[in-house]
Amino acid sequence: MRIPQLSRPRATARLPTIISPRHPASSSSSASTSRFSYLTASASHPSHKTQIYLSKSTDPFLNLSVEHRLLQITPPDSTVLTLYVNAPSIIFGRNQNPWLQVNLNRLAQIAQQPSSVGWTDSPIQLVRRRSGGGAVFHDAGNVNFSVICPPERFDRDKHAEMVVRALKALGRPNTRVNERHDIVMDVASKAAADMETYKISGSAYKLTRLRSLHHGTCLLNSPNLTSISGLLRSPALGYIDARGVDSVRSPVRNIDLDNQEFQDAVVREFENMYGDVDFRGEFDDTALEVDEVQKGYRELKSKSWIWGQTPKFTFSTHPTEDDPRPRPELPFDLNMHLSARHGVIEDMSIKHSDGAAINGLDASVFQGTSVWEIMNWTESLNRAGLGDSVSKEAGEWLNGMFGAEYARMSPKEM
Amino acid sequence: MASIATSLRAARPVAMRFAPRAAPMARLAMPFRSFSSSRMSLARKYTKDHEWIDLSADRKSGVIGISEYAAEQLGDVVYVELPPAGEWTDQGDSIGAVESVKSASDINAPIRCKVTHTNSLLEEKPATINQVPEDDSAGGGWIVKVEVDEEGAAQFDELLDAEAYKAFTSE
Repeated sequence: MRIPQLSRPRATARLPTIISPRHPASSSSSASTSRFSYLTASASHPSHKTQIYLSKSTDPFLNLSVEHRLLQITPPDSTVLTLYVNAPSIIFGRNQNPWLQVNLNRLAQIAQQPSSVGWTDSPIQLVRRRSGGGAVFHDAGNVNFSVICPPERFDRDKHAEMVVRALKALGRPNTRVNERHDIVMDVASKAAADMETYKISGSAYKLTRLRSLHHGTCLLNSPNLTSISGLLRSPALGYIDARGVDSVRSPVRNIDLDNQEFQDAVVREFENMYGDVDFRGEFDDTALEVDEVQKGYRELKSKSWIWGQTPKFTFSTHPTEDDPRPRPELPFDLNMHLSARHGVIEDMSIKHSDGAAINGLDASVFQGTSVWEIMNWTESLNRAGLGDSVSKEAGEWLNGMFGAEYARMSPKEM
Repeated sequence: MASIATSLRAARPVAMRFAPRAAPMARLAMPFRSFSSSRMSLARKYTKDHEWIDLSADRKSGVIGISEYAAEQLGDVVYVELPPAGEWTDQGDSIGAVESVKSASDINAPIRCKVTHTNSLLEEKPATINQVPEDDSAGGGWIVKVEVDEEGAAQFDELLDAEAYKAFTSE
């Protein structure tokens, strides 16, 4: 399916209403690279109580890293609005399990053979954010808003309400904040007399000693909506028992607004709430020139963050005492169980499905292995002493469960 | 873990010399659920960021958790992010976080300290923080056990006692 929005220039490429302050040296210097260092001085200036930033970058790692830096350096009593749009990405919560939340095989397919799955957008990046909450999909048709404020003034609904006022001002009176602090849209149902409710915006929060951050998405005109639910459905769902945070699945819909229109309306509502804006700025990928932004960026991109921060989980092919859910029958005669902490296998057992031991097998070779580094389970099972044919059958199945195809991808493909 | 717990308990009677009004045995026997008593008024202190810390009699080790007030404010805790052991953390810096209602909330070091033990029960049962946040026994909602240096011990003296903390939270 050809999606018309895709051929349009990304809305982030032009931000006409907000003029970034000129860097004193930018006219004489050949590069604009020190722009964000200049911004960080302004961001931390004690008299800058109300600040607004627009990002010209669509790199989710960069946008989250700049946002995090603003959380750290803006004055304790300031209120800071940041608006950004990310290239296609799945952003999951601080304490979530990517093997459980994401269909990694599909991510690999999209990256490697996009046309085979009808994908016409750029590859999807996988991002663990620093705030809580569940997994969401971002693309060019989704604008993210972020408000950093003092903890005393933090309220989960306050800035979602701000966004609802912006939406209402743009002729969307059927929007509201629901009990989960999400923004939803009520739509008259064709079939029934009832209203149907769709989620258009989800929120997450990071609360530190001095500052509170609320960031949220807003689905305006995503061309990829039909693919979202499949992306956020893992094949391992019935086998993984995970500590940490699950996602709540909600029907979503575009609210059908232009990114620029929406951003302008949110800025207006923010100004209505906080009065005169002391500082407006914009940033782009050159923000990486700032050491602290670079440091946060590297951390977010590291495998030890994305995978290694996964809360404890078990994977069991058969019901266990702790996870008694019935399992579908397997095409091979094995009962496998692993437990992992920080994404590293602590314990692995492989038996016949009736529980009998397997001759010559030493599953302890898995101990200490990072799940995200297993690129081919067939080889690993073989190395543990399992026969060739059963290794192949079970290995391929496990490759599917843990998205080994995705693990095999080079960073360039991601 | 058990040996440390035992040694901290063993230290309590000594602590009573410093905290004559304290009733440590009673507090160990049941979840600490009220602010009303003045027990442990010297050995347990609070921060304005809603952490509590018990300091041992020799002022070299402690137990840290979050207050009942904070636990109520947070809502249902669904995950506790425990810090790695072995690193010194300065007063006010993060030593972990709790997640509730889509929020990752930092837990801050009430004083300078080095984490020696984390409460692994919280990995399995994060809701323990809601049930018994101020219980420092096995099965309680304490978060970390720490080593304390002189600087940390001096910072402890500046923290709020139970009464002052209660007054602070009812402001």
